[in-house]
Amino acid sequence: MDLVRDLLDKKVVDRNGREMGRVDRIVLDVREGAPPRVAALEIGPSALAARLGARLGRWAAAIEHGFGLDAGRPVRIAIDEVLDVHDHVRIDRAAGETPALEVEQRARRWVASIPGS
Amino acid sequence: MSALVDLVLGIVTSIGGFVEAGSISTAAQAGSEFGYQLLWAVAVATLMVAMLIEMSGRLAAVSKRPLAAAVRERFGIHFQIVPLAAEMVIDVLLLAAEIGGVAIAVKLVTGAGFVRWILPIGGAVWIVLWLFGFGVIEYGIGLLGLVTLSFVVSAWMLKPDYADVARSLVPSLPHDDYLRYAFLAVTIIGATVSPYLLNFYSSGTVEEKLTEDKLWINTATAYAGMCFGGVVSMGVLVTSALTLGPRQIVVDSYEQAALMFVQPYGHYAIPLFAMALGVGCFGAAVELSLNSGYVAAQVFGWSWGADKARTEAARFTAAFTIVLVTALVLGVIGFDPLRLTLLSVALTVVIMPAVVLPFLVLMNDPKYVKQHTSGAVGNALLAALTILGGLLALVVVPLEIFGG
Repeated sequence: MDLVRDLLDKKVVDRNGREMGRVDRIVLDVREGAPPRVAALEIGPSALAARLGARLGRWAAAIEHGFGLDAGRPVRIAIDEVLDVHDHVRIDRAAGETPALEVEQRARRWVASIPGS
Repeated sequence: MSALVDLVLGIVTSIGGFVEAGSISTAAQAGSEFGYQLLWAVAVATLMVAMLIEMSGRLAAVSKRPLAAAVRERFGIHFQIVPLAAEMVIDVLLLAAEIGGVAIAVKLVTGAGFVRWILPIGGAVWIVLWLFGFGVIEYGIGLLGLVTLSFVVSAWMLKPDYADVARSLVPSLPHDDYLRYAFLAVTIIGATVSPYLLNFYSSGTVEEKLTEDKLWINTATAYAGMCFGGVVSMGVLVTSALTLGPRQIVVDSYEQAALMFVQPYGHYAIPLFAMALGVGCFGAAVELSLNSGYVAAQVFGWSWGADKARTEAARFTAAFTIVLVTALVLGVIGFDPLRLTLLSVALTVVIMPAVVLPFLVLMNDPKYVKQHTSGAVGNALLAALTILGGLLALVVVPLEIFGG
């Protein structure tokens, strides 16, 4: 598998098919005397921003911290929780068990408070 | 039978949704300043947008991915971030310009200053997005937009010399003022080939669940819808050439452009122009807002869709709301809508190569479009036109805007 082509930036769905975000960063396990191995995937704006630049990553993390969103984020998914990688990356977790949908849930509370929702 | 209904509805809505602030203002200026001479630019722009729209539908139907999602997956965020950011800035400018266009339309009818209409119009756009699903939004805009056919009727009533019109479909050089001529050609292309249309159309194809075996519907809708739509733009240009040109009326505001209807429609001129401008711009404003939600959600992997309950796609809802509010702030500050329109369509051509070239790569990647890859002629034509347009824009846009 070509990690950048086939894994990075793909959409991540949970075991129920619910969108959790995209593979924003790949965590490699670098071992002495053996080839590096994929340890985990990360989902979250701070991981994505860090790929674009270390400073951007710190800013994104600071903004998340400011909104009280930093607990458990970026969400890290261990590689053995990945069920398959076809159209999307399907993982053996439920989105609700992770903080991946924290912003979605906050936005939902706001949307639900609008009359007619 | 249902395929035929889809086809007809698709074509009709493409025609009704074709002209908006950008195409009306650029075609009106071109007609008043250069007669029919820039009709070729409308034809080239229409061909380009038809090809690109067909491609974005094909990509979405085969890969089940809208354009923004496919670009992120194929090229990664490093590549995508710059054109994406530029596109979002232009979309906000254009959205402010479209809302301004609706406000001018209301002003033309009521006589009351346009800035006061910005917020109520923004509210109306948001309510449409809040209440309706994709089908109602798309078909509603398209059917109401048929009022813009009044530009075709006016051109026909003015009895143009069709031989002259046909000759103008071949590019020619003006007698003088090359810079203005080139600038108008660039803005006509930018007003017609908006990047937002491509992502909007591909998202719509996903929303409507068009499948690979019905690709012919996509092809027919894209080419027929866009080509007939291009005729509406040509109607604006011809009408302007025959009414404003001879009277040396320069279109430096929408109020001036409205005068093009006086000769063909008499007393009904202003209300009819206001309706065509207002409906065209309102439709584009709804699509632009919705598209900003689509793009954000697709790039970041959120749940999205105008057919979903808004609570089921809450970040998508928040994203289009935030973009709409940002554009309203710009509108309320009181930028001149016509200048804002011209600026955003001119910038569009500058960034177009960064949008179209990766798109061409996607359309030749069997991982995304299987055996439905694009042909060599189409690839070469689009690449050449886009790069040429981009280079031309890089030269003439700064000269025209900063050179006075």
